[in-house]
Amino acid sequence: MTAYLMSIGIVVLIYALLTLGLNLQFGLTRLVNFGIVAFFAIGAYTSGLLSLKGVPLPLSFLAAMIVAALAALPIGLLSLRLREDYLAIVTLGFSEAIRITIQQEEWLTNGVQGLPGLPKAFASLGGNSDLALFVTLVLVTALTAWGTLRLTRSPLGRLLRAIGDDETALMALGKDPARFKVQIFMLGAALAGLGGAFYAHFITFITPEQFIPLVTFYVWMSLIMGGAGTVRGAIGGTALLMIFLEGSRFAKDLIPGVSEVHMASVRLAVVGLALILFTLYRPQGMFGKRQA
Amino acid sequence: MTEFLNLLINGLIEGLVVALPALAMTLVMGVNRFPNAATGDFMTAGAYATIGLQLAGVPSLILAALIGALAIAATSAASYFLIFRKLARQPMVASLLAAIGLGFLIRSLISLFAGHDQRTFQLPLVRAWNFNGVRILPTDLAIAGTALACLAVVFILLYKTSFGRQLRAVADSADLARASGIRARGLLVSLWLLVGALSSIGGVLLGMKAVVMPDLGWEHLIPAFAAMVLGGIGSPVGAVVGAVLLCVAQELSVPLLGASYKLVLAFGVLAVALLIRPAGLFGRIELVR
Repeated sequence: MTAYLMSIGIVVLIYALLTLGLNLQFGLTRLVNFGIVAFFAIGAYTSGLLSLKGVPLPLSFLAAMIVAALAALPIGLLSLRLREDYLAIVTLGFSEAIRITIQQEEWLTNGVQGLPGLPKAFASLGGNSDLALFVTLVLVTALTAWGTLRLTRSPLGRLLRAIGDDETALMALGKDPARFKVQIFMLGAALAGLGGAFYAHFITFITPEQFIPLVTFYVWMSLIMGGAGTVRGAIGGTALLMIFLEGSRFAKDLIPGVSEVHMASVRLAVVGLALILFTLYRPQGMFGKRQA
Repeated sequence: MTEFLNLLINGLIEGLVVALPALAMTLVMGVNRFPNAATGDFMTAGAYATIGLQLAGVPSLILAALIGALAIAATSAASYFLIFRKLARQPMVASLLAAIGLGFLIRSLISLFAGHDQRTFQLPLVRAWNFNGVRILPTDLAIAGTALACLAVVFILLYKTSFGRQLRAVADSADLARASGIRARGLLVSLWLLVGALSSIGGVLLGMKAVVMPDLGWEHLIPAFAAMVLGGIGSPVGAVVGAVLLCVAQELSVPLLGASYKLVLAFGVLAVALLIRPAGLFGRIELVR
């Protein structure tokens, strides 16, 4: 039971990292990233492949963040020229392009077979490895949340919110929002890459099938449910998401005759309904401030 | 050479089919100003509705497809009335997220009731005509003909009727259109009826070319969007030209890259088009930035 709760906790915290990354991109700067799972996948595969080559995990985690951030650079630069909804579809297309490339380039990624037998994080601690991973994730998430709060309240944070509010007025004041937008986009991607590295070395077996767009929209559902633009919204929303995802597993076990395939459809339906209902009736989320 | 011709013909036919959702998206984009990400799932719903009607005993595929198109048109108009109309004053991200949500909801209902098995339409089996190695399937000709007929109907509606004139006026400037006495509400419901029917028929035609499964339309969302951008957002002619160009390019790339990379190519075309010419071939730049 403790082991089960621990593994839920680890997954919650990985999703919290992704949601905090999206909160930077969308909550603060209104960059609509529909390709979160691409950076998550890039982080997971970067760290996974490096670790299989014998690179120590701290270095491979760092590499995961750097490669994910670099992959975000061209998309971030492209975003400067686009209206927000175009960026959305471009990033969605990017994430599918990445998934297909991972599936096809077998020489690098082992294709649909995936990468089995990745080194477990803190494997040297034996039975306590999950606990150590959990504590590390708590620290990393807390640090990220704290950093986000600091950023929000700094002059840069005010600038970022101004980018979200009214970019033209900001440029009229002589500020250049472009550089900050790209930096924030890369930072959010680096967080997703870090989440991917944690994920890869927690479950130790990654396949392209795990990196479908649904993951992106789980993260969006978290942020929208919690309330975009605030750290407590991002964290609270992730908790709600996990209650729902884990709850649906229990529901499947409790209700006879319901298969996993049915439950996958139900989960998709709930994500869809949540996105519709929250944008319609509660755009500020459960924990967010009412925005004008 | 014959291989090239075969790929070219296949690309042309697929392009005419993808033109239908691309046109549906560009019409919504021009008027409601958001990319309707549920377009793909309207297509899937159309294909499944038609298969369901065939299984229920509707004798002709054409009749089943027409009833299906009516049902999806009604669904589409209802979704406008219940969701997107209310989000019109919100930032467009709200409409886009709701459209993604609607697409998920439609797909989940399909997979819940019809399962994930691949399905096919009940079609008469026909032999391909062979002209010195250039193969043409009569079914493909029927698909291309139907797509062309649908496009013709939409263009007549857009450019020869008062509905189309009013719609284009609203697309140009909603305020000016209102000032000159155009009632937007009824017009927009008609628009969403039209794009629902268009997507539905597009879905049936796609399903006739390949197989029907719950991801059928979703997998064509990025190509349809790329076609729309390539042609120029809000431009109906552009959507059709963009779809044909994109699909021909996709087919011709198959010998070099393999069929799996078609979607990646569509993404590449999308990114390059946005980078070099965001207004597309026939579009206006202010809609993009």
